[in-house]
Parts: sequence; structure tokens; C-alpha cells
Amino acid sequence: MNAERAARWFVLGLALGVPLAILAVSWLRPAQTLELHARMAESGGWTPDALIVKAGEPLRLRLTSDDVLHGLAVGQTDWPAVDVFPGKVTETTLTFDRPGTYAFYCTRWCGVNHWRMRGTIEVTGETTVEPAITPPLYVTLGIDIDRPHPAATTPARRPSAGRGAALGVTLPMEYLTQEYYRSHAPMEVWRSLRAEPFMTSLSDDDVWDLVAFAWESNTSPEAIGEGGKSYAANCAACHGEQGGGDGVMAEALVKQLSTGMGHEAQAPASFIDAASMLGASPALLQGKIIRGGMGTGMPAWGAIFTEPQTWALVDYLWTFQFD
Amino acid sequence: MMRYDLTRLPLVKPLLKSRWPQFILTALLLAGFVFAILAGLAGTPVGSRNFGIVFVWIAWWAALMLIAIPLFGRGWCSICPIPAPGEWLQRGAVLGPQESSNDFSRSSATEVATTNVRRGLGLGKRWPNRLRNIWLQNAVFVLVALFSAVVLTQPRVTALVLAALLFIALGASLVFERRAFCRYLCPVGGFIGLYAQLAPVEVRVKDLALCAAHTAKTCYTGSAAGYGCPWQVFPGSLVKNTYCGMCVECLRTCPHDNIALNLRAFGADLEAPAGRKLDEAFKAFIMLGAAVTYSAVLLGPWAALKSAAYAIGTPAWGAYTAAFLLLIFVLLPGAFWIAVRIGTVFSRSGASTRRMFVSLAYALVPLGLAAWIAFSLAFVFANLSYVWPALSDPLGWGWNLLGTAHLAWRPYLTGVTPALQAVVLLGGLTWASATARRIAAEGLPPHAATLQSLPVILYCLLVTLALLGLLVA
Amino acid sequence: MRIISGLSNRYAHYISGYGSPASPAVRRLPPGAILLIALAIAFFPAPALSAAPIERHIHLDAKSFAYAPAVIAVNPGDRVTLELSSGDVVHGWYLDGYDLDLTAEPGQTARLTFTADRLGAFRFRCSVTCGPLHPFMTGKLVVGPNWLFWRAAGLSVLAALAGLMLVQPRPTHRQPR
Repeated sequence: MNAERAARWFVLGLALGVPLAILAVSWLRPAQTLELHARMAESGGWTPDALIVKAGEPLRLRLTSDDVLHGLAVGQTDWPAVDVFPGKVTETTLTFDRPGTYAFYCTRWCGVNHWRMRGTIEVTGETTVEPAITPPLYVTLGIDIDRPHPAATTPARRPSAGRGAALGVTLPMEYLTQEYYRSHAPMEVWRSLRAEPFMTSLSDDDVWDLVAFAWESNTSPEAIGEGGKSYAANCAACHGEQGGGDGVMAEALVKQLSTGMGHEAQAPASFIDAASMLGASPALLQGKIIRGGMGTGMPAWGAIFTEPQTWALVDYLWTFQFD
Repeated sequence: MMRYDLTRLPLVKPLLKSRWPQFILTALLLAGFVFAILAGLAGTPVGSRNFGIVFVWIAWWAALMLIAIPLFGRGWCSICPIPAPGEWLQRGAVLGPQESSNDFSRSSATEVATTNVRRGLGLGKRWPNRLRNIWLQNAVFVLVALFSAVVLTQPRVTALVLAALLFIALGASLVFERRAFCRYLCPVGGFIGLYAQLAPVEVRVKDLALCAAHTAKTCYTGSAAGYGCPWQVFPGSLVKNTYCGMCVECLRTCPHDNIALNLRAFGADLEAPAGRKLDEAFKAFIMLGAAVTYSAVLLGPWAALKSAAYAIGTPAWGAYTAAFLLLIFVLLPGAFWIAVRIGTVFSRSGASTRRMFVSLAYALVPLGLAAWIAFSLAFVFANLSYVWPALSDPLGWGWNLLGTAHLAWRPYLTGVTPALQAVVLLGGLTWASATARRIAAEGLPPHAATLQSLPVILYCLLVTLALLGLLVA
Repeated sequence: MRIISGLSNRYAHYISGYGSPASPAVRRLPPGAILLIALAIAFFPAPALSAAPIERHIHLDAKSFAYAPAVIAVNPGDRVTLELSSGDVVHGWYLDGYDLDLTAEPGQTARLTFTADRLGAFRFRCSVTCGPLHPFMTGKLVVGPNWLFWRAAGLSVLAALAGLMLVQPRPTHRQPR
């Protein structure tokens, strides 16, 4: 009788103990942690996708993915991205100093709707100083970024900044200012240079080399490197690793959009197309990146990239045209 | 045939007679089973990080297919947790009649054939005669097999399958007598029983004359000393391992200590000509076909097959289902029938083709087990490393109970696995060939037996080559 | 029909090792011979191949849940540069036997160069969880002829024969001479 009783208690203990143990271990979680689940956008994206925290208060997050590898980063901050692993939990803490609305997004490609995987973090608090909102350059310049921008002439060979430097021509200062560089398309720069009296001895292609040189003077290897990394992580999947608008995602993206819109959607832009690239100013490119495309699959990166990051990316895009 | 009674060794008989070791193992496994269901339902949907998937389809499957079945036959069945709750309710006791009875004398000499199997809950109905075969088990296995791509990868689905087995077993125990679920419904039990014929252990009586003299047959009916055989088997008539669940209840109940746990040669049961049935023959075809199909679909490089197997409900899955059913119920048995027929004609044996078909199908038992071991080796070694994080973080909730939660996936022994698979398949083929020859020789003179078995051996050779092609090539 | 069955009778004697009352006892194929042939098939060094090792560039597209191409054949000694490009999510590539690992993400093609000095067929499998069928996302690299398979196939024929010969004579069937 005792043996039977003992055995029954053993079974009961296990039957109750197992679920209780699970509950106990999960109750041991520290307070104020929020569990953030990542799923491919088709399956729901981020859950929850709207977070609220007070400025200065740490936001403790337990990140896990329910399907594939994702990543988490918060736009407009220098907080490093964190990988979110399937079936594993990664803990991280975010603290925001300034109130405002921040966007968080997925940093590891998780399908054709990866770029849609975004959420918001509302940071509440008193703001002492309202940051001045400056409009992007393309707005200030009045550029219509949706209008086609063909270049009237294109170089016969790929312009090289090195060759441009070796020409031994001293460019007037105005061509080398960042303001000028950002607001003028290479086509316009070439036309201006071509019209300069002291350039008459140079060939058309030599002038293009000088345009390339002007570009190189307005950027730095670090910026191009950063832009390259940004491009590889965010753009190459659709725009192609060689910039041809033929990335691995391009076909699926166009198909998805075409089905949704009922007519053929636009393919991702090609950066190796000299006729269109050389007619675009850096400001136009920056505008497209910030605002995204209307009716195309181009995401809006304004909430994600900081201004320096955006310009670095634009600088990098010219490497598809210039050496 | 040489047999060595293991109960002669010290400690073996006391360990088997005591109900505690088996009970504790069963209870712990039941806890693990329930935990696997909970993990599947509440844990992460990522299969490789969920205890339910990892411990059922990698750890338990490896232990079952690579160790338990080849070495212990139905050994798993003796500690399986699925029928346990139902059996406890049926018996009205968790441990045993001696421990729970206060009506009966403690002395085992008081031997009354009791109905203590009915002391607990349950209607105790007799299993219907028409279903006293393994056709139902075959059907349940095929049903689970058709959904296997989803079952093996989705924790929720595994949990549902496990929970369904648990509740069906419980229901069966409350309606029918003894272990009706295990004997006639369990999808796993179907193939464990078939391959148990190959095991080097068996439970048999020591002296049949003693059984003949013992009228009460309490090993079957039960007494104060122990319950009657839950597998509805009379130990005295046991010739093969197929339906003996090795629960050794009979060893506890027999008042004359006439039950032995024998060590014997592998595959001794294949030599017993009695009790060969069509349902078991078809189980052999089903298992062989399933091994070939899984090797092609799950381990092969053909994406279309994998997608078809996974996309339940689509026309592609319908085609996959039809092809699978065609293979196991028509093509494999059909080709085998042709092989048997050719053998019958050429050997001029005059034997009934149908009888030869059923008998020779047992040559596929060692071939099938070899095929399943070879198949299992591939994905077990590649994925065994998922076990370590599953122990520390079974639900994928970020726990780290044993410190192994962050161990990365790492496939083991990938360089030698193909060679191991080849060796296993070759062993299975040799065994199958010898078995076919031996079975054919049961009623035929030597050269006729060779001719009868030759086409069947060719069949086994072709199947082996196909498996080699899928797994090793 | 009679000729065939007569012939088959003759061979059956060889295999089953029995004498029949009509013909004299025939030599049985000695088990030693079978063992020798088996060892030869298993261990005899493979003939040197005429194909010279070359530089190869292989582009592998990984998309859930398969690789394209799924089967890659190279010559032994080839210097293989593998380019892994992923089409939808982050995928990995682990090569059995060579213990090589690679990870690629859409937009970031990964490259790896190795020498195919081990012969045989080696499975490669995805090493980054990429969805439900991830554990079954596999392909195959075949380096040179797959000697393991051919040896095993040869041994299979022997195994089938050996099985026949393993059966011991039953006294009741022995015909008096």
C-alpha cells in the first residue's frame, strides 16, 4: 500500500511539477522586459510593432525570431544592429535621450518584403529644444525627383578620377565645393567645365575624367567604404551587386507589385545606366533614397539613415559610373 | 538454436520482478512526453530549437532505430509512456496488484485467477475480431507518413500528433481490455513489432510441459502476483517477438518461475514458419517503401519533391500522396509477387504463390531495418548537435538550464556516414538473401529452394542498389 | 524452358553446394574466394583518372529550400571557387566531409575557394535556419567517380550471393548418393 501511494505521488509530482517548473522559470524573467517577436513581413512582421518608452528610461527587449534570421536596428541612431535568431532569445537594452518617434527595422534580408518590416518607438518626454527641421536638399533646390533625368551626352569610356587628377588641371574652387557637387548632376558639371575657356584643349572624355575627379574630391575613402557596406546590406538585393537593377529580389519584387497594382511595375533602377545616372544630381539621388519611390518598391529611408549615412551611400553610387 | 536465459545472471531477475525500475522509467518518460507536447504547443515555432521536435524526431528516433529495436526488439514498448495513464486507470493502480491489494493474501502461493485487470476504470471490451490484425496499424502509420514533412518540422503539429496518440491510447484503455492501443493502433508499434523478430532477446517460457500442467494460466488471466499479459499474448504460445511487449508482467505473475528472458541469435524468429500473415507482409512493404521515399524526398536534392511533400492540400501533395501509396501498396508488392511467381515457376516447386509471397516477404524484414538504420544515420548525425541547446533552452524562451543553450549546430561524422550507410545496407542485404533462401528451403529441396529464392534475392539487390543510389551516391 | 531450367539447376548446385542424386557432387564456390573478391572490390586502389584538375567557378543559388544546381560534379584535384548567392533569406552552405561553411544573404554573395581533393559524393546542407524545411535543404557535390558507391554496388552483388551461401545444409534434405 505504501509503495503504491509513493508511486502515485511520484506520478502526481511529475504531472504537476513539469508545468509548474515551466511557469516558474518563465516568471523569473526580470520585470519591464518586452518580448519582441520577429517574423517575415508576410507572417506579421514585428510583434508588437509600436513601442512606447520614456526618454532616459531603459527599454529592455527580449528578441526572438519565429521563422528565419532577422536583425534589429533603430533608425537615426548609432546603436549597432543586433541579430535576432530563430528560436533563440537575445536580450538588449535601448535607452533614448531625446523624445520623438523612432523607426526600428529589420537588418537581415528575410524575403521580398524584408524592407516592409518596420516598427515605431515612441519616446515620450518633455522637449526643451525643438530641433530645427531642415528640408532635404532636393526640396530646397526645387528638384522634381520623379521627372526623368536623361543625360544629353555620355562619355565614350568610363571616367576615371585618377586620370582626371593626372591631367594636372587645377579646377576652379567652385567646382570643388560640396554644395556645388551635391546640387549639380555630372552632366551639368561636364557642360560647365566644357564651356570653360581653359578646357578647350581637353577632349570630351578628359573633361569627364575631371568630373570624376571632382566627385572624388568631395568624398573620402571612408565614406565610400561606409556607403558600400550600406549598399551591400540594404540595396544590392534589389539593385544588384553590380548595380544593374537586377538583384536577386528584383524579379519577385516586380511580380508582387505588378500583381498588386494591376499593371507592370517598374524594375529597380540601374546605376550602370550612364544615360540616366549622369543626368541625376546627388541631391536627386538623396531625395529618392529618403522619400522612396511612388508606386515602386523603393523603400523610404528617411527615417532610417542619418544624413551623413545617406550622403555616403550617394557617394558610393557614383562608383558604378566612375573609377 | 542457442539461447541463454539472462535471468540466471545475478540482479537480472530481481530487477525485472520489481516493478519500480520499469515504473520510474515509464513515469519519467511520461513526464518527458508531456513536456514535449507542451513545448510543441507553447514553445518556439522554430523546429530545430524546440524540445518537442529535437527530442522526438532526433534523440528518441535515433535511440529507437539505432539501439532499441536492433538490440532490444520491443524493449521500448516495455517503458513507453503512451499507454501508461490508460493502463493505470484500467488497473486502478500505478504500481501493481501486490502493492495495491489489501484483499488478497500477500503470499504468491495464494493463486486465484482474478479479474484484477478490471479493478480500475474501463469497459474492458474485447477487441473486435475483424480488427485483430495490424491492418489498422498499417493505415495509421501510412496516414502519419503522408504528413511527415510537416510533422517532422512543425512543433505544433508534432505536439498534436503526440497528444492525439496519448488520448487515443487513453480512450482505448477505457473501452477495450488491456493494451488494445499498443497491439492494434499504435503506428510505431507496427514496425517495432515487425523488426523485433530480428532482436537478440526474447521472452519465452522455459518449460512448456509446466505450462500444460498449469490450468489456471495466470500469466494470461492475472492473479494477486501480477496482471495478465497486457498484450493479449499467452506466453506459452510465444514463438515470435512480434506481439510480446517485453513488459515481463508474465515473469512477475507466473507462480512456477517459468518465464525466461533469453539472449539468442539475431533474427531467430525469421526461422519460425508459423504465424506468417499478409498484414505483416504488407507492413514490410510499407516500411521499405517509406524508407525509399524518405531517402528520396527528405535526403535527396530534388526540391520539387520536398515542396510537394510539405504543401499539404495542394495538387502537388496529392500527386505525391498518390505516388507514395502506389509504391507501397502496388509497385513494391507487385514486383515482389512477380519475383515470387518466377521463382515458383522455375523451381517447379508446386508451392502456392500466395503462401510463398507471404513467407518470402519476411526476407524483407532485415532489409527494411537496414534501410531504416541507413536512412536514420544520415539525418541523426547531421542534426544530433541540436540536442545540446534543446536541453538548456527547450522552449526557445532564452533559458540556459545546463549552460549549453548557445552551442552552435555542428554536423557529426559527415565524412564517414556514407560508408557506414553502405556497410549497414550490405549487411541487411546479406541477411535478407540468407533469410530468403532459408525460408524457401522450409518446404523445398535445396536446388529448388535456391531457384525459388533467387528472383526474390534479385529484388532485394535492386532495392539495395536503389537505396545506395539515394543515400550514398 | 527445359534448357533454362537445366542450366539454372547446374548453377544452383554451385551456389547451394549440394550434390544431386543424378550428378556427382559439384564443387561449391569456396567462401574464401568470395571473401577475397569482396576485399578486392572494397580496397583495390581506384585507377588513376585521365581528367586533369582544372579551375572551376560554380555559382550556387540558394532559395528556400533548395540549391540550384543541386548536384555539382567536379574532377578530383579541381580548384573550385564557389559563389553562394541567396535568393530570399539568409542561407548557409556546409559541405560534409570537407567541413567547409559559408553564409550568404540576398545582395551579399559569398565566395569560397577550396581544392576538391577528397573523392566521393558529399552532401552539402544549409547551415542557417531558413524556415521549416531547413534541415532538408541539401545538395550534393560529386568529386570524381563515386568509388564508394561503385564498390558498394559490387559488394551488393556479392552480398546477395554470400547470403545464399550462408544457409547451412539441412540433414533432412540431403539425398543419399
